[in-house]
Formats: sequence, C-alpha cells, structure tokens
Amino acid sequence: MPVEIPVEKWSGRVLEVTLGATAEEGGTRSRTVTVGGETTLPFLHFEGEIPHPPCIAIEIADHRPDDWSPLLLEAWGDAVDDPATWAKAAEEAGADLILLQLSLTRDGDTPTTAEDAQAVTRAVLEATGLPLLVFGPGQVDADNELLVAVAEEAAGERIVLGICEEKNYRTIVAAALAHGHLVNGRTAMDVNLAKQLNILISDMGLSLDRILMDPTTASLGYGIEYGYSVMERLRIAALQGDKMTQLPMLVTPGYEAWRQKEAKVGEGVPESWGDWRERAVLWETLTATTLVESGADILVLRHPETMERVRAFIERLVK
Amino acid sequence: MSRYIATRAIRGANGLVAEADALLQEVIAEKGADTPVAFPNTAYYLPVTLGMLGHEVTNLSDLVPVVDHAKKLLHPLPDESLWTPYLGETLDAGMATLLAAEVIEGIRFALGEQPEPYPGLQLAGATQYSGLEDGHLNGPIDDIQLRSWGIQLVDGRMPGFAAIVGAARTNEAAVSIVRELQRRNILTFLCGNVNGRSIIDQLHEEGVEMGYDTYIVPFGRDTISAIYPMGFATRSALTFGGLKPGQWRDILLYNKFRVFAFVLALGEVDDLKYAAAAGAISYGFPTIADTVIPEILPTGVTRYEHVISMPWNEIDAETEEERAAKLVQRAIEVRGVKVKITEVPVPVPYGSAFEGEVVRRADMRIEFGGKYSRAFEYLRMVPMDQVEDGKIEVIGPGIDGVEVGGAMDMGILVEVAGRKMQEDFEPVLERQIHYFVNGASGVQHIGQRDIAWIRISKTAAEKGFNLKHFGEILYARLHADFGAIVDKVQVKIITDPELHAEWLEKARQAYERRNRRLADLTDEAVDTFYSCILCQSFAPTHVCVVSPQRLGLCGAYNWLDCKASYEINPTGPNQPIPKGQCLDPEKGYFTGVNEYAHVASQGTVETVSMYSIMENPMTACGCFECIVMVIPETNGVMVVSREDPSMTPAGMTFSTLAGMAGGGLQTPGIMGVGKFYLTSPRFISADGGFKRVVWMSSFLKQTMAEEFKAVCEREGDPDLMDKIADETVCTDVEGLLQFLEEKGHPALSMPPIF
Repeated sequence: MPVEIPVEKWSGRVLEVTLGATAEEGGTRSRTVTVGGETTLPFLHFEGEIPHPPCIAIEIADHRPDDWSPLLLEAWGDAVDDPATWAKAAEEAGADLILLQLSLTRDGDTPTTAEDAQAVTRAVLEATGLPLLVFGPGQVDADNELLVAVAEEAAGERIVLGICEEKNYRTIVAAALAHGHLVNGRTAMDVNLAKQLNILISDMGLSLDRILMDPTTASLGYGIEYGYSVMERLRIAALQGDKMTQLPMLVTPGYEAWRQKEAKVGEGVPESWGDWRERAVLWETLTATTLVESGADILVLRHPETMERVRAFIERLVK
Repeated sequence: MSRYIATRAIRGANGLVAEADALLQEVIAEKGADTPVAFPNTAYYLPVTLGMLGHEVTNLSDLVPVVDHAKKLLHPLPDESLWTPYLGETLDAGMATLLAAEVIEGIRFALGEQPEPYPGLQLAGATQYSGLEDGHLNGPIDDIQLRSWGIQLVDGRMPGFAAIVGAARTNEAAVSIVRELQRRNILTFLCGNVNGRSIIDQLHEEGVEMGYDTYIVPFGRDTISAIYPMGFATRSALTFGGLKPGQWRDILLYNKFRVFAFVLALGEVDDLKYAAAAGAISYGFPTIADTVIPEILPTGVTRYEHVISMPWNEIDAETEEERAAKLVQRAIEVRGVKVKITEVPVPVPYGSAFEGEVVRRADMRIEFGGKYSRAFEYLRMVPMDQVEDGKIEVIGPGIDGVEVGGAMDMGILVEVAGRKMQEDFEPVLERQIHYFVNGASGVQHIGQRDIAWIRISKTAAEKGFNLKHFGEILYARLHADFGAIVDKVQVKIITDPELHAEWLEKARQAYERRNRRLADLTDEAVDTFYSCILCQSFAPTHVCVVSPQRLGLCGAYNWLDCKASYEINPTGPNQPIPKGQCLDPEKGYFTGVNEYAHVASQGTVETVSMYSIMENPMTACGCFECIVMVIPETNGVMVVSREDPSMTPAGMTFSTLAGMAGGGLQTPGIMGVGKFYLTSPRFISADGGFKRVVWMSSFLKQTMAEEFKAVCEREGDPDLMDKIADETVCTDVEGLLQFLEEKGHPALSMPPIF
C-alpha cells in the first residue's frame, strides 16, 4: 500500500550564521563554519533543506580546570595544562570549533585580568585555525571586563562572545559591534524570553546573522525533555516565519552531562550502572544526540570520544 | 522655528563655507592638490564627510567636492517681511557648516596647524601624534579611544557626551559645570571661545586635569574644532550602528536615538555658533545656552526641545555649584538622558529576600500606622520643573523623640516627573512602595494608601535606619525599576502634625479620584487592550487578554499595570492589542483580539470571546485565582477559589478542576479568572452575568463581602448573596438544586445557559 508522507510547507527559514574569518575576510582562520539555514524540522530531508549539518565545538578552559572529571583530564592528557596545546589537540581530534571558557581566577585565587584573557585568546588563535568562541566566567563585572578585552584582541576574527543574558548583554554586544564579532545569548528554557533577548540584542544594532541563541537545556535525566520541547517550539516558530526565533541554536551538552552524578561519580554507585567511563561518555553522547534531534546547530562537547560518537550519529542523519 | 536663529545660522554658514572655499583654493595653489589630508589614527578619513557624503578624503583635491556640496546647501537669508518656514534651510546651513569646518580642519592638518598648540598643557591620556610632545590640545579622538568609550556609551555605562562651546561666566562656574558632568559620568568635550577666552583656558588656570583619563577632552579654542565631537558621533554610528559611509539619514537617526549628546553654549552665541548648533540639531543634539537667546521648543528633529535658553544669572540658586547642577540637570532632561542607580544606600541589607520579613512588637523600635497612629503613602505626578531629582526631605520630628516600641504619624509623599509619566501610572507606582520598603532588612510594610502600616525593628534602628532612608529607597528603586517612565523623583517624609493632616486629606482626595477613574474605565472607553504572555513558558498557547473590565486571571495585572509594564519594557510580555472592529458587543468579539490571539497562541486559538464562558472562552495558564464552571442542572455557574480545598458540586476539587481549566485550552463551560473579574459588569455578561453564580467558595464570600454586596445591588437583587450556596451548604448537585429552589435563586428562571 503506498503511504503518502505528509509534507509541511514552512514559510520561514533559520538564518545562516558564519563563525570565523579567513585572511581574505580580515581574520586568520584557516576556514569558517556556517550553521543554520534549515527550512524544515531536524532531518526531514523530504520536506526541506538542511544545508549545514550540526557542528561540534570542543570546550577548553584557560587553565587546568579544577572541577572537571578526572575522566576528561585523562582523555586530554597534558594538553589541559596549556590552552594552546589543548586547542590544537581538539582540532586534531576533529572539532569544528573551539570554545574557550575563561575562569574567574587564574589559579583559584588571583583574579583573571583583561591581559590574561587577551593572552590566552591570542595563544589559542595562534594554535588553531578553527573559528573560536570565548565565554566569560559568568559574573557580570568579570564578563564585561574580560570579554571587552578579548573582543579587542581578536578584532576581525568573527569570534563568538558569550554569554549574553537579559541582565547583562549590553557591554558584550557593544564589544561585538566595535570589533566585528558575534554573540551568544542565553535564556532560561522559555520561548518568549529567548525571543525577547534576541529583540534586545538586535535593537542595539547587531544584525541577526551575528547572534546565536542558547535556549538552555539540561542533561539526560535532569529535565532534558523540557529543553527539548522549548527548542522544538523555537524551531517551529522560526519555520512559521517568526524572525526573532530564526537564529541557530547553540547548546552545551558537555557542561550539562558532566556535572551530573552519572557522569561525574565513579565510586559508591550501584554496580548495575556499569563501567564509569563508558557510562559518562554515553551520558554526554545521549544528551548531545537528543539535542541534535531537537534542532541544535552547535553542540559544545567535552570528551573526544563523545565527539566521535556524535559525529558518526550526525553523519548518518544528514546522509 | 525662530527666524532670528535661522538668519544667524544661515549667515554663519555662508561665512564659513566662503572661508573654507577661499582657504582651500589658496592652499592648493601653494602646496599642490595632491598634498595628503588625514586625521590622526583613524580609519574613517574625515569622518563627517565620510558619513554624510560617503566620500573618502585623502588629499587636498578631495576636499573640492566637499566644499561644492556645502555650497549647494546654502540658502539666502530669510526675508525681513515675508515669513516662510526656515527649518529646512537652517538645517542645510548647519550641515554646510559642519562640512566646511571639517574641510578647514583637514587643511590645517595638512599644513601642520593641528592639533592646536597650547604651551604648557599636559594631557592625561590623548591622541598620539608622532614627533609631537606635550603642549597641544587633543584634536580628533582616535579610533582606539572611540571604541573604548563607544562600548560604554552603547552599553549605557556612560550616559552621553556634552559638547561645551565657549567660556563660562567665571572660572568657578566652568569648574562646577565640568565637575557636575564628570559626576554623572558624562563625557565632556571642550571647544570654542568667547572674545578669545575659552573654557579650556579656564579649566587650565584652575588646574583641572584634562585628557582621556578624566573624560574631559579639549579639542580646540575655536568654534571650528566643534567638528571633532560631530566626527566622534558620526564614527559611533559607523562603528556601532553597522552603518555604511554615505547612509547619512541613518547615521543622523542613529545619533538621535542612541547617542545622548547635547551642546552647552556658554557665553555669547555668535553667527558661527548658531550655524554649528544647527548642524548639531541634525544629529538630534539640542543646544542649551546659558545666555538669553531665542528658544526652539517644539520637538521633531531632536527628541525633545531643540534650543533652550537658561541664563546663568537667572538660575535660582545660591552658589555657582548649584547653578551648574541645575544647568546640567536641565540639559540632561532636554536630551532625555537617563540616570542609572544601582545601589540602595541604606544602613541595612537590602534585597527582595527580605520582603516577607515580619517585625514583631517585641522587636519593634517604632511603627507608623496600625492601631496607634496614622500612616499614608501617596505618589503623585508633578510638572518637571517642580521636582528636584534626588531631594529627600523629612518634614517634622524624627523618630528619636518617640519611645522604644512607640508609634508616630507619618506620611510618605513621592513626587515624580517624567516625559512618559501619566497620571494613570500613579497607582501602579504607588503600589510598588510596599515592595520597595519591604526590601530593607528589619523593615515591615503592610497595606497601602492611608492604611499603610510600617514597622522598623530595633536592629535596623540601631544600625542607623531612620525616616530619611524611606526616601533613599524609593528614590533609588523608582529610578532603577521605572526609569523608563520616571525621570525625576523627590520624596517628602511628613511627620509634622499640621502638614500630615493636610496631605492626608489631599491623598484621600486623590484616592477617591483614582477610584472614580477606575470605575469610569470601561472596555468601551479605550481602543487598546493588553496581552499578557508571561506564562507561555509553561502554557505555550495561552494568551491573556487584559481589558479595563477584565483583569488578568492571576489577579496580578490589571489594564493599567499592563499599560505601564508596556511603557517600561516595550519588548516584554505585555503588548498592546488594538481592539480593532467590534464584531459582537454582547459576547465581546474584536478583530484585533482574535488576530493577536491567533498569532501569539501559535495558531491554536482562532477566536476569543471576552464576555462569555460558553462560546470561545479565554484560555488560562494555571495561575487563575478562581475557576468558574457551568453546573448544567442549575442553569448557572459555580466559582471555586484557589484557597478552597473542599469538594464542589461539579464532583471535583479545585486542583482537579485546574487541570481542565488551564494549559491554554479553550473549554466551553469552564474558565479560570481573577477574583476581581467576578465583580466586573462584564463578568460573563453574555451569559447573564453575576446572577448566574449559584455556588461560591465561602472564602470568597467572606473576603470580598463588601464588593459582592455592591455587585448584588448593581444587579438589582440585593439579597442575591444569600441565595448563593457554598461548601458549607452543599458539595453536590442535588443539595445545591434544593438550596437554590428554597432560596428562589434567579438562575433557575433565566434562559437556558446553553
């Protein structure tokens, strides 16, 4: 019996956003990465276009992270002691993008200065040819001070500055405007809040094709369904033609998964949980692949093996 | 438009363009057309020329078309006897002046005459010139500083810039004005002179440090150097507005709406200054003069007034500092610069975490209101010139004279002024006093209006909390939270018995006036309703439509709240809904409401009836104060309140019913509402109104007894409340029917509800 597949005729399209700039474009990246452009829900190839597959950013820190799982430190080896080496290792492992996470302090005590942030940004830019995202420590004053300096240091590179939130976005957006960068906006699992932040950011004069949005997700087992549903609704609204939701989505399954006990804890858990390493990587992988299914355009991951598995998953989906 | 200003500006422009033209020809002849022309450390060539004309100037010959363009913008002087509108001509003259001024400065750079020498001057941070030591003014701001300040201007940390042209009356006045600007984080640009004396000289003589580090930039001692601030403004638009050279209109609009700059004309205003001011007006920058000059008050090209005269010696103040403060305050108002306040200066911890704190009698230092004294709070709107921003007065005795645990009469009078303030917002802001005051640790606030009741704890009093701090809190919070509608705030704390009585009476009159206004505020009387989609995070298809006679179902937002909320946060959850065409006045169908609901519910809700429970009722999220549900057997409806845990005649409790009423679904026969909607003449008016209510939670009956009494009288059945059952009478349909028949409830004889 012939089955007729229902095809939705969407009027909207996700905006294409390009990260990074090559020498020709005023930067020094060996290539740029473009995300977005979808005209249908995730992977419904029979219905519309998905011009760019979801891409993977590897998160690195500005110094050896003190709150990361030993599994992650082990996976990256000595590279975690030097951001430049780490970035290079991530590129060699197959990352599309590098996300540099700045910390509040240099060594748990001395506050990170603007100069520190500039130096580490410079070092990472020199070590890798991949487009870069730089996120501040997540404290208003520190974010503003460090990201303004980073923006200046990376002028022309079209990096992504983050994180813009409703309470603190103006300085970061201004820095992006001044030096030709992009921003990442984050809101707490709410379609209207996401939309509002996009409006506020674009009201400052930053064009929509320079904004990524992070609707906030959770990890597997910790409310990912809620995040999934918000992302799905954002994407449906985008395809229905709502301009302020037509931005590519950046999500952070690495951060979400690795802070949960299933990934973090190796001892004192039921035996039936199985091998720690395998479980942790699976936790990150399943968090990531779920978000791929709900429309994520950029996945920020931590473990190299997760990247391999997620990459394989994406390749099968875009085929 | 003042003909006087037009005449002088046009005359000034004609003069300067002629000067630029002559100078250019002379220098080209002398130095050659390909002599390079450049401002230091900038990628924007001559920025005003680049922005306005899209023309890149690199040598003297490139300046020729600029002068030609300026010439085309010149007009003859206005006729003495035939009066025509001259705004266009004046603005043209202003733009011609800017182009000519930039040409002249460009030539001066080519000749090595810029930056202007100023022997003995050391700048604290300045544009760097190779091979040039100290002893000169700054000249144009370089691109690095532009970005650094630009970020602060764009993100709002720096409110704007002031371009001062001329010289102050005295050195003391000059210093006071500049200090006043510094205090507010406003960038100060200095240029021009009066009879050869410049404000730069005045500040230099007084030892005021100038340079990037102190936010005071001396550009030049003549009016022509005023082109540098305009270049700064133009580059801001190109850098931060994403605009391209030549998009002159967008660049000017960007400055009007985003760059909060103004011109302070100190001392005599000559033709050239009028012409330059006309140029600034094109950017949306108004001029405030400290001398007597004609004013241009209508708004238009600038956001508010164009030209304001505030003669220095007529400013009502004791000292030069006070005069300076008032002049700067006025300038800020005219430009619409907003003041930012981040901290609440009180000696106790402050934050919303302390809102629910209770101060018990034993811990109490003093109370205002309650049983032993009278307290009131009254917020009113007054004209701009009657509010001195930040002024906090305690009128009458302080708390020291009252014994521990005692009480005293107190009144809080808040006076606000704002360009966007409306009388309708008074109650909205006044209600915030409760939250604002409660935020202080050790302070308890209950009630409102003339039943306000405030306690200060012993601990708070020991830390130094006193009457003045109520003012500090209100001043800071009103600016911080309602800065969009409030420009100026002053607070009077009144304890003086006579004044207390007088203002209590005035406040009561105002409450009465507001009550009447609310009563008059009907759905017919307005053409706009407001939406509330705050709850879409968990009820994605729910859209609240708030009208004057139907408040939000959570009870937290009435129509006025939504209106104010929209003014404060134009991109927020409360958006105006133009009613559009009324399709059915009975059931309350409006084209605007239907269209909005359709879009905002993502296509789920097509049609909304404002006044019916039976046909396309409004959706609900889950936050409703009450649930209204049809009980078919009784031909009426029951009303269950959130506080009522008992069984209802529908066979379900509130929490079970909530699942049916909420979630953004339209279910005829069931609806979630705010409890004050029950008292509205529009309460399910299409289905028969309040007379349909056959059962109501006793909690509502008790807490709103007065209100319901009035409703019953309005409905022409004063004893109606007695005919309405509650959970103490029955929780089943049979019992209910029996009760209704006994009491002769009107619903039984009304037309069938469906």
